[in-house]
Amino acid sequence: MAAPDLRAELDSLLLQLLGDLEELEGKRAVLNARVEEGWLSLAKARYAMGAKSVGPLQYASHMEPQVCLHTSEAQEGLQKFKVVRAGVHTPEEVGPGEAALRRRKGPAKTPEPQSSEAPQDPLNWFGILVPHSLRQAQASFRDGLQLAADIASLQNRIDWGRNQLRELQEKLKQLEPGAA
Amino acid sequence: MAGRGKLIAVIGDEDTVTGFLLGGIGELNKNRHPNFLVVEKDTTINEIEDTFRSLGSLLGSVVEAKPNEHDPPLWDEIDSTQFLHRDDIGIILINQYIAEMVRHALDAHQHSIPAVLEIPSKEHPYDAAKDSILRRARGMFTAEDLR
Repeated sequence: MAAPDLRAELDSLLLQLLGDLEELEGKRAVLNARVEEGWLSLAKARYAMGAKSVGPLQYASHMEPQVCLHTSEAQEGLQKFKVVRAGVHTPEEVGPGEAALRRRKGPAKTPEPQSSEAPQDPLNWFGILVPHSLRQAQASFRDGLQLAADIASLQNRIDWGRNQLRELQEKLKQLEPGAA
Repeated sequence: MAGRGKLIAVIGDEDTVTGFLLGGIGELNKNRHPNFLVVEKDTTINEIEDTFRSLGSLLGSVVEAKPNEHDPPLWDEIDSTQFLHRDDIGIILINQYIAEMVRHALDAHQHSIPAVLEIPSKEHPYDAAKDSILRRARGMFTAEDLR
């Protein structure tokens, strides 16, 4: 690859990296805000339910995760994360081009083993009737998890971009050893 | 476990862990060790490090401990509690003040999975200058490159 092409690619990569860093900073600020909101809601719940009523003593002895991470590899060495909630089903899609009528009863549904045992909502660890502040805390931390996956993807992209940048800089040095 | 996706682990103070468990990331059953660690005043740095280490070693980086230096049952116990050794963890959330205690282990972890995310705690707000990822990004250029 000629030096001018390498330089152009370097510039493009650098701009992308700077954009990713800016996006990372923005998402971090939002994540930190969500987590702080969550702590405040937990404190309110603790005030309503009692000091020892919201903590490790209430953790269940058996937990199933409601939230999982799916990873995908966009390019070689570049991992992307996506948060998937258990029990989320994609809606049935009916294209506009379909000429046939939809059957009212719908297509035959294949049995889904995981839907028979939905993971228990962690809110249930704290009692049947929980204060609204505890639900708010759960919502804040759930938002935080989505942001965490985005931030982790961005961090991976930045690391990957950094390695690509180094490789290109090395190639450029080999092509132009005398240039500064 | 195949097809279920990866887990999110959390190492933090009581409120941080309780909050994220409320969010639905917790896993705990008879056969598996938990994917969370509540760090309290009496939690030792070795315990935090043992729980955290393994994420990098899964992909072949250096593991300091050797099997023949431990009793076999103890080795198994350490192995199963370490988030880094588990191939089912995608992200580790860790309070930044706890990350500072095990900074050497974090800096040694160079792999993309699991990703390590530093988050603030109630007493210690987030400081971008201490974040491992941002410190690496800051060191991208030398003075020579900028001429």
